[in-house]
Amino acid sequence: MDDPALIARVIGKDVAAFNALARLHQSKVRGLLLRLTRGNHATADDLAQETFLEAWRGIGNFRGDSAIATWLYRIAYSRFLMHARKRKPDEQLDDWQGEAASGEGATHVRIDLERAFAKLSAPESAALTMCFALGLSNTEAAEALDMPLGTLKSHVLRGREKLKTILGDQP
Amino acid sequence: MNDTDLDALLSAPLPERDAGAFTVLLMEKIAHDQARPARILSWITVGILTLIVAAATIYGAQAMGHAASFSFAIPALLTLLTLALSYAVMQSARET
Repeated sequence: MDDPALIARVIGKDVAAFNALARLHQSKVRGLLLRLTRGNHATADDLAQETFLEAWRGIGNFRGDSAIATWLYRIAYSRFLMHARKRKPDEQLDDWQGEAASGEGATHVRIDLERAFAKLSAPESAALTMCFALGLSNTEAAEALDMPLGTLKSHVLRGREKLKTILGDQP
Repeated sequence: MNDTDLDALLSAPLPERDAGAFTVLLMEKIAHDQARPARILSWITVGILTLIVAAATIYGAQAMGHAASFSFAIPALLTLLTLALSYAVMQSARET
């Protein structure tokens, strides 16, 4: 839940308040980007840094129509798309990149899930992550991904079906 | 895998990431970003100072040509002062 006082201080360019805001949201933003970059920790963290820096520069444009988290996810996703466009073809990531990416306490099921996510398209992966793991409503996720609600629902449905197939095929 | 299992798996929160190093780096970048106008101003000042040096040098050369008794000390001192100021501005820009 947003803290209006904290956001008001951030809009007033209070660095300490922005630090507090970043601490609150960094984990989820980095988690989303880690999934989109298919487990590439370095790229995900670079993109997350760019996301928060852009948020700091553009905080004056935040009108409070949506939750601050939704606004941050929107910036993160657009940053990821820009990065994906710039990426050379030989840098194409086809699979989940790292075992280390699984983190502490990761189960085999979790690692399998991340490997399966790596087979999805970016919009499918982002839509599923936002609607499930990040707990956004369909409307919020559509707004964050800058796509119509119907398109978002299609991505969710298609992504779910693909995951079921991929996870069902595994021994 | 059935729908319920998949929903449970998908709804599991993403692994928690430590904020420490990440926010320290972010705050450094923000500080660097905030110092940007000062840096730009420093470079503009350096440009103006360079013009002053050039003008002083031309002035000195002309004065030398026109009057044999002209003292070179004043333009030289001005030039040195300007160079010292430029150096100070550049150092301060680097530090910010």
